[in-house]
Amino acid sequence: MILTGLALGALLGFALQRGRFCVTGAFRDVWLARQSRWLTAFFVTIAVQAVGAFALDAAGVIELGGGAFPWLAAILGGLVFGFAIVYAGGCATGTYYRAGEGLIGSWIALGGYALAAAIMKHGPGAPVVEALRGVSAPVGTVHELLGVSPWILVALLVAGTAAAVWHHLRKDAARPKPVQLPARGTGLARILFERPWNAFATALVIGLLGIAAFPLSWATGRESGLGITTPSADIVAFLVTGDAELVDWGVMLVLGILLGSFIAAKGSGEFRVRVPDAQTVLRSTGGGLLMGVGAAIAGGCTIGNAMVGSATFTLQGWVSFAAMLLGTGIAVRFVFGARRAERTVAAPTPVGV
Amino acid sequence: MTVHVLETEGQVCPFPLVEAKRAIAGIASGDELRIDFDCTQATDSLPRWAADEGYPVTAFERTGDASWTITVQKP
Repeated sequence: MILTGLALGALLGFALQRGRFCVTGAFRDVWLARQSRWLTAFFVTIAVQAVGAFALDAAGVIELGGGAFPWLAAILGGLVFGFAIVYAGGCATGTYYRAGEGLIGSWIALGGYALAAAIMKHGPGAPVVEALRGVSAPVGTVHELLGVSPWILVALLVAGTAAAVWHHLRKDAARPKPVQLPARGTGLARILFERPWNAFATALVIGLLGIAAFPLSWATGRESGLGITTPSADIVAFLVTGDAELVDWGVMLVLGILLGSFIAAKGSGEFRVRVPDAQTVLRSTGGGLLMGVGAAIAGGCTIGNAMVGSATFTLQGWVSFAAMLLGTGIAVRFVFGARRAERTVAAPTPVGV
Repeated sequence: MTVHVLETEGQVCPFPLVEAKRAIAGIASGDELRIDFDCTQATDSLPRWAADEGYPVTAFERTGDASWTITVQKP
């Protein structure tokens, strides 16, 4: 029943759009604004999924672990991916949900990402990816490496994340409340399409959807959780080969994200076809293509690796997560460092009162 | 008092916020900065920034599909 992927994807796309959940923004804030609020929210998605995934594993519903650790590919691919998402204006899921909001720049980035991922997974780039991923260490997970129960790691992760959330909630409470837009609708319409979602509540919803993804995907024979890169590459491969076997639960998931974010944006009056300027087109194209290359090498994007991989405590997940964060920091220096220098003289236009 | 206008339509986040921070640094105390934007994320980040910095928000409205305007005052 691959259609459960479409339904779960739609819910995910809806939550991403309404919650303004952008992993690129979370990583970028660390370097640009020196803020960890959204990164903490991202950790909530990891911690929630970690509890669910290991519980499902213990119950025998899914089977985690095993595999090697392609360390070179995780580091290299993670750096490239983290660098690229700043130029693309969003990571894989961010680009899907912004495409659903009508941003042409994100459509371009999405096309480049899917195309490059297909080239690297199904096309002439495949031997390169294979060679890089062949450089590996035999132990694939953190708990195997340390020789401890994964539950110890889950407990540490949950405790650390809870402390960070507590810190941010207290900080939020101590600050003046941000002004909200005037209400337009009432009741359910306002709750679904208008009321701003709290970052940590959004993260909780995404974490729960991530847990649900495991058994639903497993039931169709696709033995993994949320994932964006392989399905995106598979869409391109399906379109050019007609091989229907490629259309699996994951393909339905990413199509669902597009659908869900479109419904959320349309319903809240936040959908409009927006045409970018030439510079943004170039950035989106380059960023999108690099994103596909980086994710294919790393074996996943911010979702497949940094979120799901970290939640299941794979070394590939955590190491590429760190590399992505670092890659984002490097790109922030390029993009925002240069911008600062070139635009210091530009002043806002004054107008009369 | 003068109202300065910063048009950021077409710019994706975080550029509206980055530009707003720079713009407000260049205006006189008591002046207002009106930021027009169409990046969805900024509906969260701009009012949060104003609240954090203690800038009074004199207007915050939706001007159409995926278009918003916010006006903050430099204290």
